Amino acid sequence: MSNPTLIEQPGIAVVAPEQRAQAGGLAGLLGQHRGPLTVDDDFVVLDDPLEQEDFSHAIEVDGRALQESILMVQGMYCPACTETVESALAGRKGVVSVQVHAATRRVTLRWDPAQTLLSALARDVGQTGYRLLPMRQALSVEHRLAETRLLMWRLFVAAFCTMQVMMYSWPFYITEPGEIEPVYDQLLRMANWMLSVPVVMFSSMPFFQSAWRDLKLGRIGMDMPVSVGILVTFIASTGATFDPTGVWGHEIWFDSLTMFVFFLLGGRYLQSRLRDRTAGSLDALMNRLPEQCERQLADASFEIVSLKRLRVGDVLRVQAGQAFPGDATVLGESATVDEALLTGESQPVTRLRGQSVVAGSYNLAGSALVRIDKIGRDTRFGQIVSLMEQASTEKPDLVKLADRIAGPFLILVLLSAGFGAWYWWQIDPALAVPIAVAVLVATCPCALALSTPSAMLASAGALAQRGILVRRLLAFEALCKIDTVVFDKTGTLTQDRVVLREVIVRPGLEREQALRMAWPLASASLHPVSRAIAVQAQPLASNAPNPSDPGSAPVAEPVDLVQERPGSGLVLERAGGGQWRLGSADLCELDEAHLLEQGRSVADAPCAFLCDEHGWAATFVMDEGVRADAPAAVAELREMGFAVHLLSGDRLGAVQRVAQQLGIEQVVAGASPERKLEVVAALQQQGAQIAMVGDGMNDGPVLARAQVSFALGHGAPLTQSQSDFVVQSGRLSELVQTVRQARRTLRILKQNLCWAGGYNASMVPLAIAGYVPPWLAGLGMALSSFLVIGNAMRLSRLPGMPVPDPAAAAAALSVR
Amino acid sequence: MESLFLLIPLSVVLVLAIMAVFWWALYNGQYDNIEREGERILKDD
Repeated sequence: MSNPTLIEQPGIAVVAPEQRAQAGGLAGLLGQHRGPLTVDDDFVVLDDPLEQEDFSHAIEVDGRALQESILMVQGMYCPACTETVESALAGRKGVVSVQVHAATRRVTLRWDPAQTLLSALARDVGQTGYRLLPMRQALSVEHRLAETRLLMWRLFVAAFCTMQVMMYSWPFYITEPGEIEPVYDQLLRMANWMLSVPVVMFSSMPFFQSAWRDLKLGRIGMDMPVSVGILVTFIASTGATFDPTGVWGHEIWFDSLTMFVFFLLGGRYLQSRLRDRTAGSLDALMNRLPEQCERQLADASFEIVSLKRLRVGDVLRVQAGQAFPGDATVLGESATVDEALLTGESQPVTRLRGQSVVAGSYNLAGSALVRIDKIGRDTRFGQIVSLMEQASTEKPDLVKLADRIAGPFLILVLLSAGFGAWYWWQIDPALAVPIAVAVLVATCPCALALSTPSAMLASAGALAQRGILVRRLLAFEALCKIDTVVFDKTGTLTQDRVVLREVIVRPGLEREQALRMAWPLASASLHPVSRAIAVQAQPLASNAPNPSDPGSAPVAEPVDLVQERPGSGLVLERAGGGQWRLGSADLCELDEAHLLEQGRSVADAPCAFLCDEHGWAATFVMDEGVRADAPAAVAELREMGFAVHLLSGDRLGAVQRVAQQLGIEQVVAGASPERKLEVVAALQQQGAQIAMVGDGMNDGPVLARAQVSFALGHGAPLTQSQSDFVVQSGRLSELVQTVRQARRTLRILKQNLCWAGGYNASMVPLAIAGYVPPWLAGLGMALSSFLVIGNAMRLSRLPGMPVPDPAAAAAALSVR
Repeated sequence: MESLFLLIPLSVVLVLAIMAVFWWALYNGQYDNIEREGERILKDD
């Protein structure tokens, strides 16, 4: 490596300029919070050899070892900008060549690592107002770009030659044979041939290459009949052109040939555009993480380090507008974040001290201090990305079947084309070649092969934008057959956090006093019950400071010592002697049955008890609040004709209360995991098709047993979840949405299969009978593929979903 | 009619010339992102 010092000292400590911390107010940020804010940044990350691997590669020019780097230029939109950037770089010491592309906003830079540093060059560009960014996956993007260009170039050659060949063929269409003088006839034929050569030799190459690749592997692929068709037509027409009296006969089919190639390429181009768009949205998802972050050093200053050097436990400062690089815990007072990644909705969410933020979500306001808990693949974000990758490469059984029968089928196609040619040769030799070619093209099952995966992927993509992840594409089919929905209670129909319902207090004690007493205990713990109490107690506690030490916050009070007893509660050693306890009846040395009798506790809800020096002081009755959207979702499911069941491991009283609120009649309470499995199996034996809705953590076996499973909320690690669908937002209404989308998917899939199958079935006899010229077969094939994909694309928008904010979409695009 | 001997080869040359122009435009990145100009109006910067 060129710069050994950098390897030892990767993130040279540079304190970020102060103005960055204060950049912009909240209002300004919400509009454009997806981009970096300033250009006077530090570019040391560009010099990190570990990072450079992503966007640079070594080249050798005239014996000099150079680096070629592809970087993204931010803020460049016009050709004039191009010149500014170019002149900022050209002529610098160490810069060998520079090429700026305005359209792609990329700069290709050849530089000498012995003479300069990339960061120095980036700083020069930064002074002109633009920003050089390392392009993650720059090389793969570059590769894709080159492919698209080549395909477009092939398409254009085919299109233009086709038009011109058509012109030269026109005289043949309007005249009787022999009407044109032979010398002009020959001239037109030669011109036709001239322009057909590029179409066959250049534009048709992808078909030949792919057919040849298949042939070498001993297979017959889809491009085989097409290639044979192109070659046969071209050879026969060429023979007819140069030897009109020879064995190839007199007819030429250059017009059919070129048009047919043009249509096929056109279909292919549109397909690749569509595929790039999906790949693009996946890229946009993956590129959410920042390239670099600010890590706190021991002396409380900050250094800029690359993401790859980040470790668990690092403390970072994340500026407003930046994404969190890993799952992290908030260390500051609070942070306002945008978790559209998980919920599909861009709205500010507040995370308090101690709460966690997820990688890939954006910090909206102020700079946030966080401690990294997870990085890379372990983060929620990493799991989403790998899940998306996995699902999109999964092949549904139908496609596997198509792959298997394709070989024999294509042999059949070749044979029937041969038969058609032989048959027509005896009737009218002039028709043999075009009919054989038409059969070859018409039978190609391209549309059939596309119909299923295109619909399922489009649908999964639409759901993913909404925060619903599809783990198994085939689950769409199963979901349409469902007639019973079984809910697990905890965390699905009820909120996954509890709220304080009421406080029962000792005579002589006020509710507020009890809460104030509980505050120092509850605020020290992260247990859900403690949090519920703390939320209620916090405003009271800050209004009336603790009498023993008026100045400071209760938690930080040095004299009182709070101890957490895992599983039972908290104990506070009072500075002035004595003990306060908050937790279970056992911890407080109370008899729960006795309390019940006295009306100091309730049976149908979880309770926490508070006691002081004088014994029992208060009972905090918790409520597992029914989710706000649960009643509507359950009602809607019933309206759609589903039987709704409630299956829970909780106490009967609590379960029934929830069921009553929601109007669910079939209830099983107190069920162990084994019992749950039995219940589901029994329902299935009665013929029920079950969709199980759980939190994805405790219901693994049941989720696997049901025909379709949903995991709600983001409690469980995605990779361990057994469910087919993961609803990250936890909104129950998404369930209904998913069912609707599955039904639409199946409907469109059936339309696709019908169309593609019907097309192939009707075209083959017509082609053999001689009613379909090759160009029409080519057009039909391209159009039917396009129709199938276009139909599938209808699924990429959910009905009743707000149209995505175009400005946000554009902003997301501009980051890429 | 003899002019065809000139005009037809000329038209072939013309086609090739037009294709060369397109090649130049394509490989200078003019068609790399067709949607970008339409999106630009939505951007602030």
